[in-house]
Amino acid sequence: MNSDPARILVWDWAVRLVHWLMVVFVPLLWWTAEEGYMDWHRSLGLTMFGLVVFRLIWGLIGTWTARFVPMVRRIGSLKSYVGKLRNREYSPSFGHSPLAVFGVFALLLALVTQIATGLFSVDVDGLESGPLAVLVSFDTGRQLAEVHEFNFNLLAALIGLHIAAIAVYHFVLKANLVGPMITGRRSRADFAATTLPENRTRFFPMIGAAVLSLACVIILLSFG
Amino acid sequence: MKRRKIQMLVPVLAGLTLLSACGDTGETDTASETANVELANGMTVKAQIEARQAQLKNIGKAFKSISDQLKADSPDVAKIQAATAVVPKEAAGMADWFPAGTGPESGVETDALPIIWEETADFNEKVAAMQEAAAELDAAAQGGDVAAIATAFKTTGGTCKSCHDKYRLDD
Repeated sequence: MNSDPARILVWDWAVRLVHWLMVVFVPLLWWTAEEGYMDWHRSLGLTMFGLVVFRLIWGLIGTWTARFVPMVRRIGSLKSYVGKLRNREYSPSFGHSPLAVFGVFALLLALVTQIATGLFSVDVDGLESGPLAVLVSFDTGRQLAEVHEFNFNLLAALIGLHIAAIAVYHFVLKANLVGPMITGRRSRADFAATTLPENRTRFFPMIGAAVLSLACVIILLSFG
Repeated sequence: MKRRKIQMLVPVLAGLTLLSACGDTGETDTASETANVELANGMTVKAQIEARQAQLKNIGKAFKSISDQLKADSPDVAKIQAATAVVPKEAAGMADWFPAGTGPESGVETDALPIIWEETADFNEKVAAMQEAAAELDAAAQGGDVAAIATAFKTTGGTCKSCHDKYRLDD
C-alpha cells in the first residue's frame, strides 16, 4: 500500500496507535472503576497518562496532521467549511477539519482533566487512591474524585458526539473516516489542494516523544 | 461496519449508564418530618445519621494516612500508629449507630441500605469483624513491623469492603 502514490499518508502510525489504544482503554477504565478493580484501574490509568502525554508532545513535534499549531490556524476557515457542509458539500481537509479541531481539543482537555483528577483521587473509605493522593488531604482527594466521576460523563458525551460525527460523515456525506484511521492513508484525489504540507513521520522526534512520555510515567510511578 | 457499531455502542452505553446513575442521587434530601424524631438514645434521626457519617469519615481519613505511609519508600511508623489508634476508637459502638428508623426511609440523605435492618445479625457480625481487625491493626502498628502492618491493613480494609458491598448504596 505504501507504494501506491494515489494514496497518501494522513495519520501516522503513532497517532493511529494512540487513538485505538484509547478506544480500548477508556471502556476498560470505566469498567474497572465500576467493578472496583482498582489495581487494574490504576495501571490502566497510568498507561493512559503515558498515551496522553505522548499525544501532547506529538502535537508539538509530530507530523503535520498531528500538530496543534496548524490545527489552530485551520479554525479560520471554520465558517466556510460549515457553510459548505450545510449544503451537503464536503471538501475533505488534509488532517482534522476546522470543525474536528474543536473535537480534538475538547477530547484532549477532557482526558487531561480525567487523568489529572484521577492521580489525586481518594475513595470514600480512604482505602484506594491515585499515585499522587499522598500530596493532598482526604477532603481534597474526595473532591477531586467527585470531579473525576463527573468529568467522565463529559468525556463519554464527547466520545458519543465524536462517533455520531463519524456516522454523519459516513451516512450523509458518504465519507469513510474510519478507514484512514486504520490504514493511515487516503486517496490523494480526495484533496482539492494542488500542494499538501509535508507529513512525513520523522524518527528522532518519535523516539524523543516516546522517551519523554515514558520518563513522565516512571516519575509518577516513583510516587507509589 | 461491525467494528464501527461496536465502537459506537460501548461509550454510548457507558455514558447512558452513568447518566442514569446520576439521576437517582438527587432525591434523598427532601425535608422530612422523621428527620427530627427522637430515638431511644436521645439523638434525633438526622443527628444519628450525621454522627455516624462523621465517624466513618474520620476512619476514612485515618485509612488514608495509613495508606499514604505504606506507599512511601520509608513509612513513618509514628504517623501510622497515630492513625491506627484512631480507628478502634472511632469504630467503637458501631453496631449502635444504626437504630431502626435511620435508613433511607427517614428522608435524610444516607447511603445505608434498608437491608441492614432486615439482616441485622449478619450486619452486626460484619461490624464486629471490622472492630476486631481494627484492634489487630492497631496492635500490629504498635509492634512497628511495616510488613505486618500492611497485612493487617489489608485485612481491615477487606472487612470494611465486605460490609459496604452489601449494606451501602453503591456510589
